Amino acid sequence: MPDWSRTSLELIVQELQRPVRFDESFDRRVMVAVRRSYAERRPRGAAGWIGAAVHMTRRPAYAAALAAGVVAVVTVGMLRSRPETVAGNESIPVQFVLVAPEARSVTVVGDFNNWGLGDTALVAENHNGVWSVSAPVPAGVHRYAFLVNGKQWVADPTAPRAAGDDFGQPSSALVVEGSAE
Amino acid sequence: MRSRTARGFLTVALLAGAFGSAEAQDPRIGNRLDAPTRKALSALVDSARASGVPVEPLMEKVYQGLAMGADGPRIVVAVRKLTVEMANAQRVLGTVATTDELKAAASAVHAGVPAVELGKMKKQSGLRRSLTLPFTVLADIVSRGVPVQTAANAIRSLVGAGARDRDISEFQRNVQVDIEKGAQPQAAAETRVKGAVTTPSARPEKREQE
Repeated sequence: MPDWSRTSLELIVQELQRPVRFDESFDRRVMVAVRRSYAERRPRGAAGWIGAAVHMTRRPAYAAALAAGVVAVVTVGMLRSRPETVAGNESIPVQFVLVAPEARSVTVVGDFNNWGLGDTALVAENHNGVWSVSAPVPAGVHRYAFLVNGKQWVADPTAPRAAGDDFGQPSSALVVEGSAE
Repeated sequence: MRSRTARGFLTVALLAGAFGSAEAQDPRIGNRLDAPTRKALSALVDSARASGVPVEPLMEKVYQGLAMGADGPRIVVAVRKLTVEMANAQRVLGTVATTDELKAAASAVHAGVPAVELGKMKKQSGLRRSLTLPFTVLADIVSRGVPVQTAANAIRSLVGAGARDRDISEFQRNVQVDIEKGAQPQAAAETRVKGAVTTPSARPEKREQE
């Protein structure tokens, strides 16, 4: 006589271990939904969290296991999305473009990468002089500039100017709206 | 893009004191600033923090100066200027203003817009409307030669008409193109604002606000 409970358990384990592929926007959609749900349902103050925890303990064991699974999935999603998320601000992909036919290298440097000179390099597809990169930028207002050939600062000709050139170099302003707005 | 790492450094810097002891220093600053500069910047940041001015934009200004090869005294001057501009902006916008709004407002003040003009706009627009983009555009068109009062009137008209951020961005692009084609900055702004406040997309939001 087959051990049905064991077979069922193995089937469940096998199913749970099966790798699942998500599309690239999955993390973002999950986090938007989680934040929306959090904002709408979260009781104010620590008492709400404590109350929620107490409520959980009254459920049957299988419900607790299910909840643990959900927490694990959400945690994995959060960990995977961390590189594009800063201090609760969602990052939005922004395309930076500079037409510079004579350039050998172009990077975009600004508040969003703390002015790290080599952090965000643009590429010129087919070497046609149109340099571009799509980079995640946190919601907010940012000052930035292009650095051409590692020495020449160039403002983005298609963006608003950032007022003032405190350091004798031009820069531009970028306003990135959060998805919730 | 290493925004997470960069922001991590910034957070560590702000919490530990970016300009303090060697072990607490921000890795991006390291030994690139001399002791007097670090001391001056530390005092500025502490002062800003004590008066409620957000310090993250000040750190960003330090990073910008370092990236652009500025020397210590020049960075100190720029940070001090930004601190004053943000404090002025905060005084007129109130505590409801976000860090981004203050940053954009400081940029407008830097361009020459009196802080009181920004306060009027905030009062007119209501507390819920973010003026980050309008202030950014205001700073831009002033820096392109549009007289301060003309620019302020234009942005106030747009905000008052319920123009959305994308309408105001389009206004900025149009003014920029007109000026680059040779138009007088004042004429470009005055003409383009008339079109912008009468566009259909500007109207629904106004009704919602009312």
